[in-house]
Amino acid sequence: MLDPMDCFIDREKVVKTPQELADHLQGVFGDDLSYVDLRDFSEGSSGEVTSHHLWMTIGKSRLLDFVDELGKFDFPNFHVVSGDDEGDHISLYYHFDLYRAVERGVSLHVTVCVHVPKDDLTVDSLFSRIPGVEYSEREIQEMFGVDHIGLPNKALVFLPDDWNREVFPWRRDETAPGEDLVEDLS
Amino acid sequence: MSETKTYKLPIGPVHVGLKEPITAWLDIEGEHIKDAVIRPGAIHRGVEFMARERNPIQVIYLAERVCGICSFSHAIAFVKAVEDAAQIEVPIRAQYIRSMVLELERIHSHILWSGVACYTIGFDSAFHLGMMLREKVMDVLEALSGNRVNYAVTTVGGVRWDVTPAVERTVMDMIHYYRNEFASFYEAAINDPVVRARLRDVGVLTTEQAIKYCALGPTSRGSGVRADVRWSAPYDAYCDIHVEPVVPQDYTGEVHGDVYDRFLVRVYEVLQSLDILEKIMEGLPEGPITFEPKVNKLLTVLKKAEGVGYGCIEAPRGDDTHAVGLKAQQENVQWWKVRAPTYSNAVSWPLMFKDNELADAPLIINSIDPCISCMERMVLSDTSSGTKSVVTKADLLKLCREKTDKTRRLMRA
Repeated sequence: MLDPMDCFIDREKVVKTPQELADHLQGVFGDDLSYVDLRDFSEGSSGEVTSHHLWMTIGKSRLLDFVDELGKFDFPNFHVVSGDDEGDHISLYYHFDLYRAVERGVSLHVTVCVHVPKDDLTVDSLFSRIPGVEYSEREIQEMFGVDHIGLPNKALVFLPDDWNREVFPWRRDETAPGEDLVEDLS
Repeated sequence: MSETKTYKLPIGPVHVGLKEPITAWLDIEGEHIKDAVIRPGAIHRGVEFMARERNPIQVIYLAERVCGICSFSHAIAFVKAVEDAAQIEVPIRAQYIRSMVLELERIHSHILWSGVACYTIGFDSAFHLGMMLREKVMDVLEALSGNRVNYAVTTVGGVRWDVTPAVERTVMDMIHYYRNEFASFYEAAINDPVVRARLRDVGVLTTEQAIKYCALGPTSRGSGVRADVRWSAPYDAYCDIHVEPVVPQDYTGEVHGDVYDRFLVRVYEVLQSLDILEKIMEGLPEGPITFEPKVNKLLTVLKKAEGVGYGCIEAPRGDDTHAVGLKAQQENVQWWKVRAPTYSNAVSWPLMFKDNELADAPLIINSIDPCISCMERMVLSDTSSGTKSVVTKADLLKLCREKTDKTRRLMRA
C-alpha cells in the first residue's frame, strides 16, 4: 500500500479548487466538521481574489483521518500549532498549506481546529505522517500540557530543564504561571 | 585494532533570531558526526505571553523585536494576522511599500549571510566585501525610516512612512549600485574553486527530506523544492509582480541540496529582489497609505474585532507565520503565536549533520541562516573517562578554517 504521506516530488498532485476541497471534506467528515469557513483575499491592484484560506473545526478523534484525507491531494506542508485556553477546553489550531509547490497562486492555507477537553488532555500526534511537526507538538505539550499520543520525543523544547512541570505558561487556569514567575519591567 | 569511541559534543547555545539559542548535541566518532540532537530554549523570552497584556498596536513593537535582521517580516506577518481577524483592507500604495521594505530586508539579510558564510570558511576578503556592499541597502532603510534595525514602518491597516521622491531616488540608486557591484562579490565567492570544494556536498538535505521535515525558504529551495509564498500564495504587490522561486536546477541544471546550493539560491535571490524592487518602484500607485491614520480610531475598530487571524509571508529565511486571536470588547490581544522560519528549518538540522565532519558543523549551522550572535563556546565531553574540556568559538572556527586551508593545499598539489 502506498504510504498516505508519501511526499515523493514527482507524485501527481490532485489539484482542487478551495470550494471543491471544502465540499469534499464536508462529504467525508459530515457531522465531525462543526465549523467551515472559506476566506477569500483580494490584494494587489487587479481587484481579483488572489488567495484563499480554509478554516475548519473537527472532532478530536478524527484529526489523523483529516490529515490523511488532505494527504490524498498533496503533502500537507505543516506551519505550526497555535492555540488558546478557552476555559473547559483548549483550542488547538493546526496550520497547513496545500499545493505549496504546484503553481503560481494555487497554494491553499488550511487551518483545522481541535477542541481538547481539560478532563482528557490528549490528542493524536501527527509525527508519523509529518515529521516536521516535532517542535510544535513539543511546544504545545509544555505550554498547554496537552499530551501528544505517538510523539517519540517528549522532552522540553523551549522551557528550561529546571522548569516546574506542573506550570503551563499559556494556560489561564490554576496551572498558569503565578505572580512569582512574572516580572514586570515597565 | 583500536576501539572506536563515540563522543557527545554540544555546540551552542546558538542564538536563532526568535527566542532560542540552540544547542546541538553531536555524536562524534573521530571527526565524523554520527547523529545530532537539537535542544533550543536557553533564553525563551515568552513574547507570546507578554502580548496578552498589550493591544495590537503595542504588539507590533514586540513583533519587530522578535528578530534583529528580519524585524519587518515579523511585524508584517503580525499585522496581516490582525487585519485578517478584524477584516481590514489595506490601501494598495501601502501594500506596495510593504513589499518594497520586505525586498530591501531580504537583500540586506542575504548579503549579510553570504558574507558570514565566507567568513566561516576563512575567506575574509569576500566577507569584508559583502559587509561593505550591505551598507548601501542599510542606507536606503535609514533614508526611508530613520532606523537601521527596527524600521517601525508598518501599522495595522497600512504603513506609517510614505515613499518620498527622495527615497525613491535612493532606492533606484541602490538598484543601480548593486547591479554594478554585487557581481564582483558573488563571482569571487561562487566561482572560487576552494569555496566550491568546501561547500559542495556538505550538509545535504534531499528534496524529499526538505518536504517531509517542512523546511522553508532558501533551505528548501536549495534542496530543489519550488516553493515560495510570493509565488504560490501571492500577497500585496506580489499579486501584480510575478516572482519565480529560485531553485538551483534552473541555474546549474542539478540539485545537490548542500550548503553550496543554499549559497547559490541566496545570491540569485538578491538579484531577483533588485528586479522586483524596480517593478515596485515603477508601479507604485498613488493614494492613501493607511486605512485609518488616527491610532485611537484604529484601536476602537480593533476592539470590536472578534476571531482568529492568520498571516504568512516570505521572510528572508522562509515563510514567517503568525496567528492571532482577538476578542470583542477587549483591548488586548487574546493570544498570539509566532512561528519564525528557523523554528521549522532547525528540525532539519540533525539530517544535515549526519555523516559530515566536525569542521563542517559551523557551516551547516550557518547554512539555514540562523543568527548565531550568541554562539560562544562548546563543551567537549568524554563519556568513558568522564573528562570535560571547553572549546571556544575561536577554536571551532579555527578547525573550520584549517579544513579550508587543507583543501586549498590539496587542490594545489
